[in-house]
Amino acid sequence: MFHSRCVAGVLVLFGGFLEAAGALAATLTVAVQTSDGRPLGGAVLTVHALSAPDHPAVPVNAIMDQVDRAFVPDLLVIPAGSTVEFPNSDSVNHQIYSFSAAKKFQLPLYRGKRYPPVRFDQVGFVTLGCNIHDSMLAYVVVTDAPYFGRTDSKGSWSVELPRGAYRVTVWHPRTRESAEIGREMTIGDADRTSVTVRLAQPLQPAPLDARHSWDAY
Amino acid sequence: MRSVVRKTLALALLACTAATAHSADWIQLPEWEVDLDGRLVSSDGQKSFVNGGLGTLRYDHPQSGLRLGRARFALSEALGEVWSLRLDASAWADDDRNPVDLTEAYLQFRPYPFAGYRFRFKAGAFYAPMSLENRAAGWESPYTLSYSAINTWFGEELRTIGVEGQLDWLGTRTGHGFDLALTGGVFGWNDPAGTVIATRGFALSDRQTTLFGRVGSSKSSPYQPIELFHEIDGRPGYYAGVEARYLDKVVIRALHYDNRADPAAFDSAIDNFAWETHFNSVGLRAESANGWTGIVQWLDGETYIEPHGTYIGWPFRARFALVSRQMGHHRLSMRYDSFAVESESADGGGAQHGHAWTAAYVFEPDTHWKVTLEWLRVTSDAANRALDLGIPRVATETQIQLAVRFALGPLAR
Repeated sequence: MFHSRCVAGVLVLFGGFLEAAGALAATLTVAVQTSDGRPLGGAVLTVHALSAPDHPAVPVNAIMDQVDRAFVPDLLVIPAGSTVEFPNSDSVNHQIYSFSAAKKFQLPLYRGKRYPPVRFDQVGFVTLGCNIHDSMLAYVVVTDAPYFGRTDSKGSWSVELPRGAYRVTVWHPRTRESAEIGREMTIGDADRTSVTVRLAQPLQPAPLDARHSWDAY
Repeated sequence: MRSVVRKTLALALLACTAATAHSADWIQLPEWEVDLDGRLVSSDGQKSFVNGGLGTLRYDHPQSGLRLGRARFALSEALGEVWSLRLDASAWADDDRNPVDLTEAYLQFRPYPFAGYRFRFKAGAFYAPMSLENRAAGWESPYTLSYSAINTWFGEELRTIGVEGQLDWLGTRTGHGFDLALTGGVFGWNDPAGTVIATRGFALSDRQTTLFGRVGSSKSSPYQPIELFHEIDGRPGYYAGVEARYLDKVVIRALHYDNRADPAAFDSAIDNFAWETHFNSVGLRAESANGWTGIVQWLDGETYIEPHGTYIGWPFRARFALVSRQMGHHRLSMRYDSFAVESESADGGGAQHGHAWTAAYVFEPDTHWKVTLEWLRVTSDAANRALDLGIPRVATETQIQLAVRFALGPLAR
């Protein structure tokens, strides 16, 4: 489970008689904003059911490639129990590692060779680096939520949910790892429900957009 | 034969490091890079120090024309997961005694980080972490062809021939905004360091001294070539440094260096003293997401000898400020250097004061090609011009270079 530091109160958007969980679905749209009200793209959203059994999503087999001395993609959200394969499409070697509590591992990626996928069983945030190229940085978010995704460039994300009570949690690489924000809500009769989550604290400044892959000293 | 040597080396290292699960990866072709850097030079400079003169530019007036700036070959061989061997060899197309020679050659131990910390260890010959400017492969500057006065001197006279340990705290991997690193090195074979600064003073160039090479030319007078990487007194030197990085945007580096040479020691084999050289250097580099870079660096130190118990010292200081803007494949840079060597000798020999302006435009369409146009003007007042050469102390020298570099190999970037 994510440990939410600041959980807003229960937000009942639409009251009245609730259908049994699993019946008629509705669309939930979450808009994420920075603390100064600007849309935040790339935020990770996870949705847990509160009023019905909370079945984690089915594990997947994901891929995080190494291209031009960078992780591609640089963020994955995967259900617990999933595996991630780390190919190396570069002409140089990499040595990827994580010392995050949720998954500690190290894996040499010699060019032109295949390595067995890495399995992520424990829920949490995993920060990845390369021991040879310090500018390489990526994240794997491991979740036990049945629904998850990332906001688009307009800071918006939508999901189809059965009616019921949920908790929505927001996280972004530029928030501190423990500072994700959670909100509990109920999806009622309406076909569409919208909620806006604004981060309480400013984001950390972004790293350089174009990291210098030529940095050698 | 080569693969036998490599296998033997790999097996020897296997014995002293932890065995890895991927033993089949041990035998691998090394990563490599070849660079060719051709120049069209126009210079009104005095006889260059490369040719045994007191000019502050790499190319003097007679060297104007087509030149080979540098031919470089670099090799990186992984020896298992955590050890690697790196070699960097260059040809500079001048009168140095070896047409091709090494600038760096070292073995590196780089275990995986543990709980946010990482230790690194190097043994061999390499650059200490001082420059914030010479950050590209081959210790080159991505901003200009000629390095600042500080880093020209660093590349000319100083090399760690010994061991270095570095402890990193990887804050940005643990949810913090900054990283920290502590570095310490112990070295030998750098006792003549300081000779160049007390003779010619500062210069602006990209001519790095090679491990078995010398500064200057044996074909010319009045200054004989200086052999820098030589042990005279048997006393190791040391340096200690610290680096702080804020989200890759701001880097601060500080270094204290002391070669702990015995200033009374003399070596007739190379006809030189051990020069006691110590200095502090502090630098800051700031970069913005929209392509601006600013670098400032200070250097403050002294070199001295004590022939027959008589102290003769040359305190020196230098600083520079560089501003650079990258726009896609294009980069414009401007740098101002200021430098001074004081002389405490009876005749004031070796005193030098000067400043320099550098402007450079770099076009880098891909990882293979790089085109640089650089204008450099150095104005300097050097006592040795009058004392040794009988020419005016003050000179203004200008050099324009057009460089085309082609890089090939997996390490090219």
